Amino acid sequence: MIEQGYDVYIKKLDECLNNYIPPRDTWTPVDEALYKPKDLYRIPLKEAEELQFKSIKFAFNHHYTNNKFYQGFCKENNVFPDDIKTSGDLAKIPIIPDGFFKDYPRGKEFATWLGNIYTGDLPEIVIKHSAPTYDQVIDAFNDAGLIVSYSSGTSGRHTFVPRDQRTFFLSEYAIAKSVVSMIYPLWDHNMSGYLLMPNPNKTNIYAGKVCSVYFDAIRDVSVAIDREITTELIKLTMGGRRGLKSKMVRFFSKRTSQKMIDDIIKWLERHEKTKENIVFVGAPFILYFVMEKLKKQGRSFDFGGRGAVGTGGGWKIHENIRLSVADFRKEVKDVLGIPEKHCLDVYGMVEGNGWMVQCPEGHYLHVPYSYYKPIVLDDEFEQVGYGESGRFAFLDSAALSYPGFITTGDKVKLLEHCPVCDRPGPVLEPEVKRVVGTEMRGCAEEMRTMMTGDIGR
Amino acid sequence: MKEKGYIPQRTQVKLMMGGVISLGKLLIKNPGDIKILRQMEPLKERYIRPQMAYDLPKYKDGMKYCDSEEKYLRPTLYCNCRAPEVIALANELGAYKKSDREFAEAAFHFVKEKLPLEILPFNEVEVTFRRGTGTCFHLITAFIALCRAAGIKARYKMFAMNMIQAWYDSTIDVDPVVKKWYDSMGYFMLEGEGEVYVDGKWTVAHVGPKAERQAAAGISVTKFGEDSIGVWFFALPGTTMRMESLPYGLAAMVGFAKKLAPGSMERVNVSIQNQIEMGRKIIEEAGGVEAYDKQARKKKGPKQPKMDLNGRKEIIFRE
Ligand SMILES: [Zn+2]
Repeated sequence: MIEQGYDVYIKKLDECLNNYIPPRDTWTPVDEALYKPKDLYRIPLKEAEELQFKSIKFAFNHHYTNNKFYQGFCKENNVFPDDIKTSGDLAKIPIIPDGFFKDYPRGKEFATWLGNIYTGDLPEIVIKHSAPTYDQVIDAFNDAGLIVSYSSGTSGRHTFVPRDQRTFFLSEYAIAKSVVSMIYPLWDHNMSGYLLMPNPNKTNIYAGKVCSVYFDAIRDVSVAIDREITTELIKLTMGGRRGLKSKMVRFFSKRTSQKMIDDIIKWLERHEKTKENIVFVGAPFILYFVMEKLKKQGRSFDFGGRGAVGTGGGWKIHENIRLSVADFRKEVKDVLGIPEKHCLDVYGMVEGNGWMVQCPEGHYLHVPYSYYKPIVLDDEFEQVGYGESGRFAFLDSAALSYPGFITTGDKVKLLEHCPVCDRPGPVLEPEVKRVVGTEMRGCAEEMRTMMTGDIGR
Repeated sequence: MKEKGYIPQRTQVKLMMGGVISLGKLLIKNPGDIKILRQMEPLKERYIRPQMAYDLPKYKDGMKYCDSEEKYLRPTLYCNCRAPEVIALANELGAYKKSDREFAEAAFHFVKEKLPLEILPFNEVEVTFRRGTGTCFHLITAFIALCRAAGIKARYKMFAMNMIQAWYDSTIDVDPVVKKWYDSMGYFMLEGEGEVYVDGKWTVAHVGPKAERQAAAGISVTKFGEDSIGVWFFALPGTTMRMESLPYGLAAMVGFAKKLAPGSMERVNVSIQNQIEMGRKIIEEAGGVEAYDKQARKKKGPKQPKMDLNGRKEIIFRE
């Protein structure tokens, strides 16, 4: 590994992701807030506050002007663009309850519903079926150049979000830059990566989709799951309806799952012999099954400082076993020999484009505060201050194709500073849980249900 | 018949088939359940129907009513909006004196607050008014009949649902068999609301739960025009149906359930009465329905944005 300054390091990333960054003369305050700072987590507070205010005000104006349903929502709440004069006024911006994105109709109406969430002019979208399925509607939007992606609860209700190419680039660039800056100085375009997710080209699950940037950030990437993943497939493997079709899917899943784990172990063996840096990115439970198999065989690896693991999604392994993030890190250290400071969790969601990444020093989730404002709400949906736990909500200026002012069903505690490292911005405590009474969710959660059925039983 | 919507829609047929199959499987797998289902365990609380909360007015000759054969105004299955009891009650509630909206609101409050829920087989709407209780479909039918008698178009809106946890606990969880049914049936249980056409718009009326039951579940008291979806239930996507009449199959299903599981049904009815009692205390403590509702609404959080499903010209439907 060649030691290099951080500025050179991040400049190299920008070169790899050159296609993601719009031409300088078309930059809006949102682009200023995301593309300009060299390290999203080390912007001096005063400077960040100004970037945050300008970018969120810009986004608010944009949605108020170009999105009919959001404008109606603002009028109902009696908030108008002129009311947002200072940073303190951002708290007035009307926030959409997360359930809204889950309450959608079916068939042609679903297409219209998606179109109405979208801010601004749509490209021409042709729906060819008289009673289109969700997947067919999404495909029609995506054929027109949009990126409609989703996540889901175990009840089978997905959260659908439409993105245009610019918003998708913002989101992809943000996750790459966020993770790369946290693992400094490990990243290098020539390292080898393993994606513990579906192939981004074969799924519309957001956590998988957003990983397509991984292929531009790193030259050599292997993919764990290479089959098509559709809403219909998720529905079938979620249990409930048990028919021949569903059993077949499960059977298929069992064989491919075992092969997947063996492939990853072979990949580890191959890379043990090289001096290259390696990085795993994706759902923790896949790596968990790999490590369980290795432990059963009494084997381990020693990648040391040249390995890294970035995880995201749910932390439930089996029905009643919840893996703690800390236990997972310890196991990665014991079985793969990758130090805990290189094992970082990422918290994000399909409705947002802000990625909270753990710092290597303390594993607190750092918030990218230049373009994204974290908010915590109490039981009565009033905003609370730092140090109190409550429901997570956010104002996300990077969402240009839909209003990104949204509450979530996640319970968090927001701190003004990281208790461990010296990055200046706010952090979330590492374990994010669901608010009691709302359903379980997590992208890895979906895949877990799909695959654990048969693995290792 | 098809025109009036007696024949179930495809969505409902699909849902019903799924329900029948999984129910069949459940009974084959657990034949012992039928025994439990058929008898009420001794020493448990028995269900006593609450006293009627109103006096049914007498029908007098010459009372005004709507005799149109237009869709959404004419009588349909179990909903004879020209029965004397219905006409008399509609007149008492101000039919042809109040504006359509005022009347619909009066009918909504009457049905919602005066007729508590009781699970029992289907019957004609006038029987419901004489008894003073019914399932949510009895109550929706009661509301629709009143509106049609007053010359206001009204229809059913049905959907499969996910319940909020609090209600799941009290309605479903009390009985292990019902719980198993619920879990196995999933898409099978349909809920509904009424919709009435006032001021040029279909307006929703969720007449099922009394304020007390909503208080017992810790949720806000739905008003005329407020949807239960998103507060009380979550509709399973793609299961919403709108129809002029109750379809045939639905009534048969309730009848079948009653034959099969009178015990379970009674236990649910007892639980509903207990909920109402509990809710009454909660409302009392809060200082009345209005004060309670204010509290509950704060907890419910920000309002959902409204989305009118206007077509967008960029989306082209080509078949
Ligand atoms: Zn930190």
